Amino acid sequence: MRSIPSFAKEIETRMAQKQPLLEIKNLSVGFDTNRGLIRPVREVSLSVYPGQTVALVGESGCGKSVTALSILRLIPQPPGRVLGGQINFEGRGNLLDLSEKEMRSVRGKDIAMIFQEPMTSLNPVYTIGDQIVEAVTLHQGVSTRKAYEIAEESLNDVGISDPHRRLREYPHQMSGGMRQRVMIAMALSCKPKLLIADEPTTALDVTIQAQILELLRKLQRERGMSILLITHDLGVVAENADVVGVMYASRVVEFATVEDLFDHPQHPYTEGLFKSVPKLGSRAERLETIPGMVPNPMRFPAGCKFHPRCHRTRACAVAVESGQAIFPAGTNIPKEIAAATDSEGQRFSVLKKCATDEPTLREVKPQHWSACHVTENFEQSPASVPQLDHRREVVPMIVDEGTITV
Amino acid sequence: MSIEQAESSQMLAAAAAEPAMPPPARSLIRQAYHDTLASVLARIGLAWLFMLAFFAVFAPFLADSHPYVMKVNGRWSSPALIHLTPADVLLLIATATVVVLAIWRRLSFLRSLGLIAAVVVVAAAPVYLLVRPPVNVDYSQYRDDLASGKIQKAIFAPVPYSPRDRLRDQPEARLEKPSRRHWLGTDTNGADVFSLLLHASRIALSIGFIATSISVVIGVLVGAVMGYYVGTVDLLGMRAIEIFEAIPQLFLLITITALIQDRNIYVMMAVIGATSWTGYARFLRAEFFTIRKLDYVQAAVAAGLPTRIILFRHMLANALTPILVSTTFGVASAILYESILSFLGIGLVDEASWGAMLQQARAGGAGFVLWIAIPPGAAIFLTVFAYNLVGEALRDALDPKLRKRD
Amino acid sequence: MLPTLLGVTVVVFFVMAFSPGGVGASLLNAEGGLRPEERRMMQAYYTARYGLDKPRIVQYLNWLNHVSPVGLKAKGEGFPNAWPVGFKAPDLGEAFSTHRKVSSMIAEALPITLLLELLSLPLVYSISIWTGIRGARSRGKFADVSLGFVLIGLYSLPSIWVGVLMIGFLSNVKYLHWFPTNGLHDLMSDSMTFLPTTMHGHFERGWLLDTAWHLCLPVICLSYNSFAFLSRLQRGALLESLNQDYVRTARAKGLSERVVIYRHAFRNSLMPMITVAASILPGLIGGSVVIESIFGIHGMGKLTVDAVFSRDREVLMAVTLIASLLQLFGNLISDLTYAVADPRVSYVD
Repeated sequence: MRSIPSFAKEIETRMAQKQPLLEIKNLSVGFDTNRGLIRPVREVSLSVYPGQTVALVGESGCGKSVTALSILRLIPQPPGRVLGGQINFEGRGNLLDLSEKEMRSVRGKDIAMIFQEPMTSLNPVYTIGDQIVEAVTLHQGVSTRKAYEIAEESLNDVGISDPHRRLREYPHQMSGGMRQRVMIAMALSCKPKLLIADEPTTALDVTIQAQILELLRKLQRERGMSILLITHDLGVVAENADVVGVMYASRVVEFATVEDLFDHPQHPYTEGLFKSVPKLGSRAERLETIPGMVPNPMRFPAGCKFHPRCHRTRACAVAVESGQAIFPAGTNIPKEIAAATDSEGQRFSVLKKCATDEPTLREVKPQHWSACHVTENFEQSPASVPQLDHRREVVPMIVDEGTITV
Repeated sequence: MSIEQAESSQMLAAAAAEPAMPPPARSLIRQAYHDTLASVLARIGLAWLFMLAFFAVFAPFLADSHPYVMKVNGRWSSPALIHLTPADVLLLIATATVVVLAIWRRLSFLRSLGLIAAVVVVAAAPVYLLVRPPVNVDYSQYRDDLASGKIQKAIFAPVPYSPRDRLRDQPEARLEKPSRRHWLGTDTNGADVFSLLLHASRIALSIGFIATSISVVIGVLVGAVMGYYVGTVDLLGMRAIEIFEAIPQLFLLITITALIQDRNIYVMMAVIGATSWTGYARFLRAEFFTIRKLDYVQAAVAAGLPTRIILFRHMLANALTPILVSTTFGVASAILYESILSFLGIGLVDEASWGAMLQQARAGGAGFVLWIAIPPGAAIFLTVFAYNLVGEALRDALDPKLRKRD
Repeated sequence: MLPTLLGVTVVVFFVMAFSPGGVGASLLNAEGGLRPEERRMMQAYYTARYGLDKPRIVQYLNWLNHVSPVGLKAKGEGFPNAWPVGFKAPDLGEAFSTHRKVSSMIAEALPITLLLELLSLPLVYSISIWTGIRGARSRGKFADVSLGFVLIGLYSLPSIWVGVLMIGFLSNVKYLHWFPTNGLHDLMSDSMTFLPTTMHGHFERGWLLDTAWHLCLPVICLSYNSFAFLSRLQRGALLESLNQDYVRTARAKGLSERVVIYRHAFRNSLMPMITVAASILPGLIGGSVVIESIFGIHGMGKLTVDAVFSRDREVLMAVTLIASLLQLFGNLISDLTYAVADPRVSYVD
């Protein structure tokens, strides 16, 4: 196994910290359009610890990419603006307070980002060597010759064979998987503390997907780097994440360790997601879906954004009409609801609340945040910024000296 | 059901049935015209063009040596009306139709155009048969007769000089400076510059329209044929287009017009039209190629509709407005070409033309005659500018990238 | 390229041959004041000499043979010497009106026209690139909109008017005499030294400076038309580049906005600008017809106009052919430049 002694101490000290590396507190981002202000990100809170992989999951349009871009302040300012909140990064304070010049020294150096489309994310008229060296000379201030050496090393680290020759090649001469590796090499060439990966494998074949994710995990272990992984694929989350945040319609609706999320989802949206994943061996004739559609940001529903599609409110409403018990027999009924099934006033109070009050993210179970009124003890649970210093059980991998060529 | 029950189910129904799409926008074409007219610059351009059209149509009444009415020996007569040419009369009839249609407003745009064309065609024969102005005209006669008392009373046009009135009774009035009598002075032949200016607007506008129409028709036909019967026909057509594009248009124009003996206005229109068609042909061909590949066209073919109908119906709907943008610019360039040819002396013979006037400004012996140099050039500039402004506004209105994003 | 060229010759000859009145008509008029028998003799002479009585298609083929470097030839000329077919020097014929060889007339006129155009290309490009970038960077704001307005206005200015006004105001003794009246050289230019001197007690311009001074106005008149088109193209290309993913990557790397715009976006936006160079050329060649006539410069344009007035078939055909050749050549150069500039394009098609 390749030993990297220079990192070891850093990893140790970082992981021993109790402070998160990145803490997003109540971030809200808006876009000014002809039709008014849209808010694709509303009061989003989460944290990332050193050496941790945090996955941010959600359907298209839920605001996860905008959140990620906002961390590096890459949202174009004329239509977009930050409406509130903080993004605290270790050693830099609130990133939103930094000047543009200071922010530029964060980008690529402390926090790096890779994007979804490797085919178009590299400039076609420059060699990949030039593009990596550009980042290196900018942040590390070394001579061009040394920068090329560092670039070659980075290419080697990401498993590209014959890196010396590759430096002189152009992006169009490489496949998608290779280009994504180059992107990773470029992002990691300045040894960032946090890597934001916005759907890095969505545009790639499934087999390449696995390789890229494996590569990311390997690099993370070697460097003690944190990864904020944006994805919509639950399988990717299950394989790679330590901690998961689920986003729906501009908010984080659930935040927990990956094991806890999969075993005991608390939010009805997460429940719905898991139910809709087809399972091998099941005899179902119809796939389960979450009824309805993701709401248009111009016309978000009042109250909880999910309530029109939520089986919990639906059950309440149905029961009202037919006089049946709210939940099917055998369901684990939260205490308040069970108590409320008898009197009509309290059944309605649950439904009205979902339709008028937007639930904030609360720690409903130890180390498990959720944002749903119809949860046991929801009102009493503390609202806080989710912080989970958790890393999954790692099966030690034997990495041989050979490299992978795509 | 109690009121609250009804309320709750209503809320749920409303939330679930919420359309995620904004209300349907106007059809693309109407929106484009609306946007174009909204542009201030386009409106200024159109205003100038309407004024020019007014001058063009009513030129024989605005600037004419023939008095409107005159009393000779106690009898009234109207030389202005007597000397109207068939072209003048047809133009007046067409304008009257346009005015009527504009007030009545029942017909769609295309149908109105068709009606105007029909009226002109139907009226052409009788007009050409019945309207016969005297061939030999002596312009100075009126002034002589007025002075000698033969004419008791006469009401003249605001500019009492025809463009062909070379002031034979006042031979020293060549190249006269602007004065009360001749608002813009006279040219080398003695003709009144202002009158020339007004009458030349006819040439400009008519050549612009008709030449461009001819080139559009040729281009559309060639392009459609190429796009429909692909293969050898397409190859041949592309050759033809390349050949025509290899010769600079002005060279071709010069070469053709130079060798034609009788250069009347219809010949000029035909020549300019016959050299400008390549752009439209390319565009149509590209449209056809794109349409062929569209899924729904293939589906229609699979359902049994003949290809011909699909292609033509779709093409007419979609390609019309983008072609309109090109035609606007095409009219501007046709006007420019005509004026260049007239300037060089190989354009129209014996007709008022802005280009020819500019040439006089140089050849006036004194080297530079101010009052002949500025007005016609300004007229060409303003007209071309107006067309370009309208064309630009139309193009901006149609460009999908510039559309305001929702 | 060759078939296109061939097609050009067909079109040109087509027009010539079928024009009513024939090509010899004004020749005879030019002689003027001839008695009928003399006129008939002259006519017979011209017909025999230029083969004007043969069928049109034969005239065309004859001309084509003369013009092409490969074809039927007399024994004893060209290569191989003894064969009736082979390579030979292209012969563009003789001008009807002046009896000079057309090739020599063109050899005199072409460099001048090319000079004009090659001088205006860099001017046009440098100004357009600058205004295009300005427009893109301040998109939608006053600077951009007003710049666009001014450029459309420039584009609409007819060159005949601008040329006349420029000469009228700027070259005229009566107004400002900043520039020379016409021509490319001063009357005394043959006796001038090449470089500016102060030898003879006063400052003398010298041939170089004098030519440059004469070229100022014509080059400006020739160039201003293309500003609008190129500037808008640059602006659009830059805006599109700025929307691309690799620009986002560059920003994420922490590069300054200047570097992002100029090193990444701008470099990519040059592609369409290069390809379009070939389509500007016909505009310039055509525009030079007007400019040369106005400024009295003896280039291809003036040659054409003179040939028109003297109904000189040979010259007209040769000039059109050369103009088309230049155009096609320009296309070729632009394709090659594009292949060099864009690494995605390979040399082999």
